[in-house]
Amino acid sequence: MAEALTRRSALGRLGAVGVVVAVGALRGPASAGAEGSSPALGLQESVQDGLKRVFGSRAIKDGAAVIKLDIPPIAENGAVVPVNVEVTAPMTPASYVKSIWIVADKNRIPIVAKATLTPEAGQAFVGANIRLGETTDVRAIVEQSDGTLLMARREVKVTVGGCGG
Amino acid sequence: MGDIGKIRIRVPSNAKAGDVVRVRCLVIHPMERIERDAQGKIVDRNYNYITRVTATYLGKPVVVFDLSQSVSENPAFSFALKATAPGPVKVTFVDTHGGTYEGTADIAFA
Repeated sequence: MAEALTRRSALGRLGAVGVVVAVGALRGPASAGAEGSSPALGLQESVQDGLKRVFGSRAIKDGAAVIKLDIPPIAENGAVVPVNVEVTAPMTPASYVKSIWIVADKNRIPIVAKATLTPEAGQAFVGANIRLGETTDVRAIVEQSDGTLLMARREVKVTVGGCGG
Repeated sequence: MGDIGKIRIRVPSNAKAGDVVRVRCLVIHPMERIERDAQGKIVDRNYNYITRVTATYLGKPVVVFDLSQSVSENPAFSFALKATAPGPVKVTFVDTHGGTYEGTADIAFA
C-alpha cells in the first residue's frame, strides 16, 4: 500500500463513485420501489423516525385549538378513510399556512401526504382519502409561513386494515 | 384498467365573487401498494402510484399534494380556493410510471 493513490487507482475509485451516483439518480422518482418518490415521503419507518427525518428537532406545539381534524372515529374499511384538515388561521401573503402533513402512526409508511398551500387558497383546508393498516393515531401537522409547527391528533379504530402486504 | 387517469372535479355552481369555495377532485388510479413475498420481503419493482397532485386556479398554483403509498385507490382530494374571477381550475396528477393526467373545471358565478 506504499503507492496507495496512484493515478490509476484514483481514477478507478472516481469511476466507482460515479456509477453509484448515477444508479442512485436513476433509482430516484421513476423506480423508487419500496422507498417512495419524494425524499421526504413514503419511507418504511417508525413514526418517530419519520417525524425526526422531516422536522428534525424542531418543537411541535399542540395545535388542537386551531386545527380541525375531521376523520371518522371508526373506519370499517381501512382502505378508504376520508380525512379533512381545516386550520383556523389567516391566509394572507404575510401569514399563511405553508404546509399540512397527514401522518398515520402505525402505517408501514407513516408519512402519508404533504399538502403545500399558497395564499391563493383563501382558507387552509385540505382533504384526502388515505389508507390505514390498523387502529392508529392520525396526526395533522401544520407548518405556518413563519416556521411554527402545530399538531393535532385523533385515534381511528380500523376494523379491516387497508394496507395489505 | 382502461380508466386510469379519468378525472372528476367538482366545483360549487353557486359561487359568488370573493367566496372561498371548496373543490373536490377524484382520479381513477390503482395506487398500487407494496407487495411482499412469502418471507415478508418486499417485492422490488416499480409500483405505480401517484406522487404529486398540483392544482392551479387562473394559472396560479393553489395547492400541491405530495403523496406516498398510504393514499387510497382512486384517491379523492379536496382543497379550498378564493374565487376571484370566473376561470378554470386545473388539476394535474403525476404517477411513478410517468403518467400525467389533467382535468379542468370552470368556476362560474351564479
